[in-house]
Amino acid sequence: MSFQSGITNIQNMAPELPVQASEDLLSTPMFNLIHSFGVDLHHAESYVGKTTRMSRFERLSTDGGQLDGSGIDPAPEVPVRTDIDATMEIYAKTIVTNEQVVLWENSKTLTKFTALLGQWLREKEDLLMRDLFSSSVSYINATGGLNGDQPSSISLNDVNNIERILLNNDARSMLTSLEATLKFATGGVRDAFIALANTNLTADLQRVQGVLLKSAYPTQEGIRPEEYCSISRFRFFVSSKGAKTPGVSMLGNTVYTIPMYGLEAAAKIEQNNYTAVIGYRPPWVVSAVAQNSQLYAKFAIARAITNQNWISGLNVTTFTPS
Amino acid sequence: MPFTILTGGSFTSTGAGVKINLPSSADYFKTWNITQLTATNPNTVVHGEWFGSLFGSGATAQGGGIKTVKTTGMLESAFAANTGFTYVTVNPLVEAQAPNAITAITNASPAVVTQTNTYSENDVVYLYNTTGMLQIAGMPFQLSSVSGSGYTLIGLRAAGFATAATGGFTRRVSTFNAVEPEFLYITEITQATQAVVRTSVDPTNHYVVGMKIHFSVPQSLGMIQMNGLTGKIVAVSSANYTVTVDIDSTNFTAFAFPASTASPTAQLFATYAPAGASTQFNPVTLVQTGYDFQKQPFRTGQFTPYMFLAGGAQSPAGAASDVINWMAYKLETS
Repeated sequence: MSFQSGITNIQNMAPELPVQASEDLLSTPMFNLIHSFGVDLHHAESYVGKTTRMSRFERLSTDGGQLDGSGIDPAPEVPVRTDIDATMEIYAKTIVTNEQVVLWENSKTLTKFTALLGQWLREKEDLLMRDLFSSSVSYINATGGLNGDQPSSISLNDVNNIERILLNNDARSMLTSLEATLKFATGGVRDAFIALANTNLTADLQRVQGVLLKSAYPTQEGIRPEEYCSISRFRFFVSSKGAKTPGVSMLGNTVYTIPMYGLEAAAKIEQNNYTAVIGYRPPWVVSAVAQNSQLYAKFAIARAITNQNWISGLNVTTFTPS
Repeated sequence: MPFTILTGGSFTSTGAGVKINLPSSADYFKTWNITQLTATNPNTVVHGEWFGSLFGSGATAQGGGIKTVKTTGMLESAFAANTGFTYVTVNPLVEAQAPNAITAITNASPAVVTQTNTYSENDVVYLYNTTGMLQIAGMPFQLSSVSGSGYTLIGLRAAGFATAATGGFTRRVSTFNAVEPEFLYITEITQATQAVVRTSVDPTNHYVVGMKIHFSVPQSLGMIQMNGLTGKIVAVSSANYTVTVDIDSTNFTAFAFPASTASPTAQLFATYAPAGASTQFNPVTLVQTGYDFQKQPFRTGQFTPYMFLAGGAQSPAGAASDVINWMAYKLETS
């Protein structure tokens, strides 16, 4: 091999700038936000305390009531009111940025950080609703699976048991039916309750007898990307942040909690004028020498299970221990 | 300015573990035992330090940290396992630690567990992977009469169980769930005009008179008639871990755990969950019943993040009557 001398190449003339920024930012990972699906949204006014009360009158008794012609009135019944209270709480996150970052970063740093704070706001809200479901609802251990653990992996019998519980308690389904169409390998979807599951359960969901994966729905129109499948009267939505408790099954495996509910089972209460506050404090406020600026996000939220009759769910383990 | 003090404070130890809520994530935490610092040769921990994940390979393992023991001099070493600091940031609130083996659970009322442990009074642990007594495997219990060799489970009257457990494991969790009021595990329901319901943990930490609870009782636990009912609490007992509800269970079938041999196919567990309250203000008697702003509303249960300080003379939370100063720091670097 011969070399020609005098050629200017990248070995003797390296680029002045070693990198350049691509025209678009890559995506910031974000988990599926599923835990506010189907919950009622209420609003709290300012200046009237931090606890919101939601009230429901219970059904009157249907026992007796027939008039026997004697002229004696039926005994009056005192209606019963059930009060559900929830306390407003405020959450916040802040990013403090030195001016040198703003000065030398390739593009609009503060704009990017504002977007990050907006994402944090929605993610935090989702996790708070998840915690409500995992803390304050009674769950039934699945026993129909074949992994030998308690709770077991999920099975059709377990799902049907929860449907029976909800129907026995007069719960109303959340999602309307999807009418069957003349497309091969698809099937109609009944009006359904909602089920929220961890993504670690997707392999087991596929094994459940009678499962209809999302691709087999008669239409994909209006179907959310978080939805995974339909089993019996439940449509399953999945998130990597779905509730789980490590190491507490009978055999010491991770237990996953699947809230399953109908209409008006839970509520999220927003504080008027404090739903999502994103703000900026300039350097001359934050720093004595005006070098650091601050972005912040705040929101107020209260949460409650509003009717335990209309929510239930399963504790499950995975077929392959996790 | 590499470090910022987040917060600090002081408490007088009871000898038990202490949880300290932190308003932000912490990267460095330390304690001083002010009482023992002035003692002569106390042979106890006077200073503890914890390093967060930003310290990389120098970070503190869960339950660990660095301690300074005062004898005739100052001796620095690592805390023994699970006797130091445990930093908890996320829900669910299993406090990371190695599973702790038990050697026995008596089938007595209340049940007594034999286990070498570092738990504190009123800690809550999950029992799992038991040998025998599978009907309670996977259930959390609150501990009482704790010693280094065992404790009592007030919430478990196991005299009706066929056999004792001869092994198993425990894992400590937070006393409170992420949201309160939380659902509780039922271990007993009486047949009475006002049913008395025992739970595996002290219900007075979570419920008050006037609140309503909704029952979930699988068929395998006998009293199926209670399943799906909602009752109002008319009495609570911290001594017995019970609530009394306005449900007449006299003619219900008896509540009983399934046999251990029925696991894992017997459905578990029986639970109750918060279902609001029927509060009343009687304008004639001027009496308000059934409302407690601290207990009734749905709200955050266990604040996170928090630092758990193990209790005892060889731990950062100190022995009874010791005054402990603590400080939490944030490291401003990346």
